[in-house]
This record gives sequence, structure tokens and C-alpha cells, in this order.
Amino acid sequence: MSGAEPAFEYDHDIIGVEFQVGQATITKEHIARYCAAVGETNPLYLDEAAAARGPYGTIVAPPSILSALLMEPRPDPDVRFGNTSYAAGTRFEYFEPVRAGDTIRVSALVKEVYAKTGRSGTMVFAVYQSRYRNQHDAEVAFEEFARVFRQA
Amino acid sequence: MDQRYFEDVEPGDEIDVSWDATPDAVAEFMATRRLASGVPPVEDGPEQVRPGFERPIVPGSMSLAVLSRLVTDWMGPHGRLRSISASYRRPVYRDDRLRALALVTDTEEQPGGGGRVKLDVYIENERGERPLQGVAVVELPGRA
Repeated sequence: MSGAEPAFEYDHDIIGVEFQVGQATITKEHIARYCAAVGETNPLYLDEAAAARGPYGTIVAPPSILSALLMEPRPDPDVRFGNTSYAAGTRFEYFEPVRAGDTIRVSALVKEVYAKTGRSGTMVFAVYQSRYRNQHDAEVAFEEFARVFRQA
Repeated sequence: MDQRYFEDVEPGDEIDVSWDATPDAVAEFMATRRLASGVPPVEDGPEQVRPGFERPIVPGSMSLAVLSRLVTDWMGPHGRLRSISASYRRPVYRDDRLRALALVTDTEEQPGGGGRVKLDVYIENERGERPLQGVAVVELPGRA
């Protein structure tokens, strides 16, 4: 190890700056379509009568629907390294259920960008955090997501 | 859907479900991503191959959704998924035959009944590789 920093560049000014990246209303139809796509059959998500008897009294969305909620692109740290990038890891924490009809607002920031060198060479990681809030301003979920950039 | 109770769960319990990542299923998943916000997805299309990959891959968020489904189906309507994490160690390729699996690794009783259950979760492909590995934490009700 030479100890030299691998050559990569990114926008340092974006670190820690929170952006509103959009909002979406989660309808029953959206929930049903999402469930069909991922094979969800839980009656809490799909059956109004069963959901009414359930713990939330109404149809709720599968927690994972938030990871598939497409907003404007996340803040971009403009990492200049390698020729490909892909998801490296995700962690979701869930605080409140998302009920049908809820409007979810998403804010996001870039937490950090760093390089790591291992057996397969140098990889650069960009770590993002997102907060999901409903129309009552209650935080329903928190996400930390990492993307890796590397030379293929 | 059956309710899972905390008292019935022990470390070592296993769950699994098979899953085929067909191009049609991936396309439908991608289509649902546009529904709520109307924003077009930035990921590659069904047939595009990114540099460094042999074939088109499955979006990480779809693999995570399948792992979440495995856990939420298992816990029943009165269970709550508190957290789930996954490391993407290898690509999940479209048309792979996959299994989503979970293993109970820890249980912790909570005051007032019920408790928290920790599970290792992972996706396994037909080559015996585990492209996704992570941890889920759920709360289950007690029988009392």
C-alpha cells in the first residue's frame, strides 16, 4: 500500500445539504399494482374488508413500496470515477404504516463519499439518506442507501 | 394469512420462497415506480446491459421488495417490520431462478407482551450464490 488516495472527484459542496425530492400520493390502485408486481398477497394491502378488521383499520401499503417510490433523482454528488455504478446496500427503518391515500414527501441528502481499495481494486461509495414523511409531517421511514462506482 | 406469535418463534427457524426474476416481472415492477410520481425511471431498460455485467440485472429495490415480502408474509397481519437492510454483493440477473430465505437469529421479549425477532435474510440464485444478504427486525405480538 502506498497510502496514496485513489484519484476520484466529486462535488464536496453537496455533502449534508438536504433537498426535497418530491411527493407522491399512495392510492389503493398504486398499492394493488405494486403488490401484483412483487407477488404480494397480504390481505392488509389488498382486501378492504380484511384491512378494516386489521390493526390499521384500512388498507396499508407494503413497507417496501417506499423503496420503489420514484422521485426526482437524489442529490447528485457528481462522482467522477470508473465506468459503471450500481447499488451497494440499503437499510430501511420503518416508524409508521403508509395508509392508502397518504401523501409521502421525501427529502434526501448525500451523507458522504469515500473510496475503499480491496482485492478487486478501488471502489468509490456515495452514501445517501432519505426521510419519508406523511401529510401529518410524521416520519414514516428512514433510508440509508449506498451506490458504488468502479472501473469494470 | 396466519398470525405468527412471539412465543412460537425460536432461533434457527427458517423461511423460504422461490422467485423467478422474469423480464415481464421486472418490467411491471419498473412500471409501478412511475405510478405515484410520474417521474420516468433512471435505471436501464429491460434489455440493456451495464458495463461489467453479463446480462440485464434486476433492480436492487425489487430484490429488497421480495425479501420484505418474505418477512411480512411470515409475520402475519399484526406483526410489524421495523427495519430491513441488504448488501448487494453480486448482481441479480434477470431470468435467474431465485429463492428468498430468512433465518431467525435472535429473539427478545418485550415488556407488555410480544417481542422483537431478528432474521438474517438473503437471496440465493441457482448457482448457490447469495447476491443479497441482510438483516430484518420485526415485532411480533404475544399470545396473551
